[in-house]
Amino acid sequence: MTRAIAFAVDAAIIDLIALVVGVGVGLALSILSISDDLQTVLLACGAAAFAVWSVAYFAVFWSTTGQTPGNRLMHIRVCDADDGTVLSPRRSLLRFGALLLAALPLFAGFLPVLVDDRRRGLHDMLAGTVVVGVPSRVPSP
Amino acid sequence: MRPVAGAASLGLRAERGARRALGRRAEDAALATLDAVLASRVGAEAVDRVLASDLAVRAVGKALEGPLVEAVATDVVRYAVLERLAEGAFEDPELERVLVAALDSPAAERLLAAALDSPAAERFLVRVLESKLLDEAVQRLLEGEELWLVVNEIAQSPAVTEAITRQSIGFADQVAGGVRGGSRSADAWLERAARRALRRPPAGPPPEAP
Repeated sequence: MTRAIAFAVDAAIIDLIALVVGVGVGLALSILSISDDLQTVLLACGAAAFAVWSVAYFAVFWSTTGQTPGNRLMHIRVCDADDGTVLSPRRSLLRFGALLLAALPLFAGFLPVLVDDRRRGLHDMLAGTVVVGVPSRVPSP
Repeated sequence: MRPVAGAASLGLRAERGARRALGRRAEDAALATLDAVLASRVGAEAVDRVLASDLAVRAVGKALEGPLVEAVATDVVRYAVLERLAEGAFEDPELERVLVAALDSPAAERLLAAALDSPAAERFLVRVLESKLLDEAVQRLLEGEELWLVVNEIAQSPAVTEAITRQSIGFADQVAGGVRGGSRSADAWLERAARRALRRPPAGPPPEAP
């Protein structure tokens, strides 16, 4: 549940930013007369940009701080399963791909989280990662 | 005839000089006697008796009934007697010291507390609060631009904005903490249910960051 909420927060951030950018680009393009073919191409470009943006969002956060904003909110962090270090960009991309794989069979790939001793889903097992809790910091006076 | 007139004139002059000298001596003697009387025990006793007598009471009563009071009051106002006295009194550092000492004293505090706790003070406060004067004053204050200038000034002050920011962050933290607590409980419950269904032993505590 904690990871689902963190993911929902991240999805909301990704969608909000994409929406703002999409509306801005749409308004800018609305003053131009664009043919249908070009509109299709632009839509495909927009979809590709959205996909890249989504992948980059997770990959960058996982490989820099180990925490997306949603993770930070829920006080969890993604790290290497063996030594607890931050993931490399490559491992982050791998985890994202595995995440999609785990979601494909009606999210069945996430069920091992409930029974695995280290709470790892299919994507964690494939990428060699683990999600750990981050203790709350005592606020400085 | 001339010698006779000269003798008469001389005689008159001598008589006048003698009379003047006698008069001066008599005045000096009278004043010395008065001083002696005033300095004596008898003089003080006499004054006390006069003041204690019905005569003195009647005299003071008559004086207060008559135009004397009005005349004195008029002169007091005309010659700014009160202002002169007040000026002198307020410039006196001794008065300041006495006032400060009086205000600092526990007796003054007790007196103030008793006055504030009294039913009369309560009645006065109720009357003030119920009076139209207060409503009107508040209305005028709200209609004036000065109040809103002050409110704006306070609202834009760094201390207030910082306090609001801190309060907002604190509130957001509190909400996030609640969500985290709820989600952790849900995690534990789901985990227990899944492990029970698969007949697996309960899991240990969730892994923590090193």
